[in-house]
Amino acid sequence: MKKLIKLFAVALLLLNFQFPISNIKAQGILGGHVTGNIQFDGQISRQDSVIGASDVPEKFLSNTRADILYTNGDFSAGLRFEAYLNPLLGFNSQYTGQGIANYFVSYKTQDFAITAGHFYEQFGNGMTLRAYEDRYLGLDNAIRGLNVMYHPWKGVTLKGVIGQQRYYWDTRGMVRGIDAEVTLNDIIKRWNESKTRLTLGGSFVSKYEEDETVLSDINGYKLNLPKNVGATSVRMDLSHGGFGLQAEYAYKGQDPTVINDYIYKSGNAAWISASYSQKGMSANIQAKRVDNMGFKSVRSEGGEMLYINYTPAISKQHTYAFLSMYPYATQVTGELGLQGDFMYKFKKETLLGGKYGTDLHINASLITGLDTTRIGGKGTDGYTSTLFGTGDTYYGDVSVEIAKKLSAKLKLTATYGYVVFNPIVGGHGGDLHHNHVAIADLTWKINRKNVLRFEAEWMGSDSKYDPEDDDKRAGDWIMGLVEYNFTSKWFVSVSDQYAYQDGVGNYYNISVGYTQKATRLQLGYGKQREGIICIGGVCRQVPASNGLTFSLTTSF
Amino acid sequence: MKKALFNILALASLTALFFLSCDKIDEEQYIVFAGATGEWYYGNGVDDHSQRAFLEKYTGVRCVACPTADQVIASAQSQYGGKLIAVAIHDSCLAFTRPFEDNPDFRTPDGDAWSKFFGIFDGSYPKALINRPKKNDGNWDIITPTGGFNNTIDSIINSETKVAIATSAVNQDDAIDITVDLEFLQTVSGDLTLTLLIMEDGIVAKQRQPDGSDMDDYVHNHVLRDVITDIWGDAIDCTGTAGEKRYARFSYTQKKEEWNLDNCHIVAFVSDKASKYILNVAECEIE
Repeated sequence: MKKLIKLFAVALLLLNFQFPISNIKAQGILGGHVTGNIQFDGQISRQDSVIGASDVPEKFLSNTRADILYTNGDFSAGLRFEAYLNPLLGFNSQYTGQGIANYFVSYKTQDFAITAGHFYEQFGNGMTLRAYEDRYLGLDNAIRGLNVMYHPWKGVTLKGVIGQQRYYWDTRGMVRGIDAEVTLNDIIKRWNESKTRLTLGGSFVSKYEEDETVLSDINGYKLNLPKNVGATSVRMDLSHGGFGLQAEYAYKGQDPTVINDYIYKSGNAAWISASYSQKGMSANIQAKRVDNMGFKSVRSEGGEMLYINYTPAISKQHTYAFLSMYPYATQVTGELGLQGDFMYKFKKETLLGGKYGTDLHINASLITGLDTTRIGGKGTDGYTSTLFGTGDTYYGDVSVEIAKKLSAKLKLTATYGYVVFNPIVGGHGGDLHHNHVAIADLTWKINRKNVLRFEAEWMGSDSKYDPEDDDKRAGDWIMGLVEYNFTSKWFVSVSDQYAYQDGVGNYYNISVGYTQKATRLQLGYGKQREGIICIGGVCRQVPASNGLTFSLTTSF
Repeated sequence: MKKALFNILALASLTALFFLSCDKIDEEQYIVFAGATGEWYYGNGVDDHSQRAFLEKYTGVRCVACPTADQVIASAQSQYGGKLIAVAIHDSCLAFTRPFEDNPDFRTPDGDAWSKFFGIFDGSYPKALINRPKKNDGNWDIITPTGGFNNTIDSIINSETKVAIATSAVNQDDAIDITVDLEFLQTVSGDLTLTLLIMEDGIVAKQRQPDGSDMDDYVHNHVLRDVITDIWGDAIDCTGTAGEKRYARFSYTQKKEEWNLDNCHIVAFVSDKASKYILNVAECEIE
């Protein structure tokens, strides 16, 4: 096996990439400990006019990151090295380069924590502030500045942040925020032991930005832009036994930006979630209304970076290929959504449970635009909206998943899904797509070290590929996947997605992986369809590719 | 005790942060002039097609005949009802315009430049030009504005308007936004320029009188404060074709705090770049 790793390392060097591969162990330094992880992803892609993969002049693309964390008692410090030479397809080219992208020092006691440098933070559900990163989205909204947390009394948490947001290799904007959260059961003595628990919270976040010239639609006039823009929210979390009720309401002042076409309408968002769970069953219903709630630290930034806030996603994050082919991207400019989720476990030795029990999971969501009346464009209040009126359908899905252990070694997961998707949300034209999806996922645990998995998917759609819209997801598809995990260390996976009717493309993939303790090595070859990847309603475009992928991760 | 104090301090700090104000912009202020001085755009034309006359009077606080000129000009302005616009230019002539002690200084470099160019500087005062014409001999047609200029004004205001002009000005806290609209009623050849100036009424200061006495509370009107554009005007981006409608916006910050903008007016005039002749003029208060 070491030979294989060496071979791979040599291959990387031949590709003119210098990467130190060593068995780094957590080490004691100055009485503290160093931990970390390193991830390398490489890609070779060649032109493929059928799927729309363009030529890669560099021949080889790579993303590398190494997180190093030093801890010594209450003190910790960390840094992250990142290299994009050049960025993988789909990652913004502004990442090109290498260097220390993140560094911080932190001191934390039971009641107090302070961090200087880069930090991630979230107030409530993030509707006023969420500084976070997702490496798969190429998204990093870290704030570089100061972050303070303090518990003045038990059950009370105060937070304060100030800083600038990461913008690729630079920082932009200026963000200031405070948050307070009170758990009443800890404050009110007679509620200490109550089964009913109530937590209340509130936050205020503001950004400062210098004036700039944004011309209005009237010749010779410009917008009178607010320099300080604030957003505030209140939230609650109530629970009683298996019941739970969470809600948050956020309001944002005038914030003309490129994402709302520079209108002066204030923004607001409301989110509510009610749930009940008991052994073998859970149910949850969520509703959300978002109206002009995009909040960025730089008004002219139209991309995925520099969002200060986040509105929770309200559709299920599907994992199967065809159900996730149309992921929903939260529309911060305005949407109304409703989601219900139900899980039930049929007990063993019952009619539907059989010998091993049966898991049922039903999920449905519907997201529409708002019912709006246009007032004007740039430099006006933009539009008015009714509270519960609905606009165009953006997304809707229903999925029913049944997981059933057929025998001691066989497990079948069968899923049916129905997805309605408005291609306008994904940046394409055309009518609504209505897709039926059927999936069978069979896992055969041959023995303790060998597992074989088969996956078959079918998608029937009323959409047809139209070169004008160039939505390569359209049409009817089938897919097959075989994955073999053996010796607990190796895996091989072969899959193919094929548009058999009204679509284009045949996307085959093969990948091989090896895991040795905390190190994992993976090599893949195949075609990637262009589309979007969404995580939590936040998405990025992924262009088509055809070629090799490499991945190496290790932690210490 | 220490922790309680610290807690109070922490809460006070957070409470203070809650009062971080956010900018609230009134709807009528969502858009403002872009401040691109001299940028010309297609406009909506001018409602009032009046032809007006512009009388620029060169005067001084120690000039004994100047109050008489002021009275005559005021009377003419009253007679012509807004078709005669006047400005009082105090140049730096040593004999007549040197300010009295403890009195405001009305002199301006722009006024000096005009005065010298037209050959008035250090001559006799008061003197005036009405629309800056030249005589047949090629010299500037300079008059003594103590009377006898009505025929000249009649001739100008009764002529057919070539370029209609209108102006408006709004004080936007830190700057004055000035709008100038032009409408070509006849085709005009040659390069044209637009000149903007600010002048102030109602300034009480000493003025030498015709009897040689010095009147402490003399009211000085339409005193030139500053030429906003170049003294010979900024180029007008136009073809000069009949029917053409153009407008431009200008942003101006007052140079001295003692100016009372409530008493100030903006004057805008269009002139021929080569001959300096003023084709038309307009005036407005600052809102």
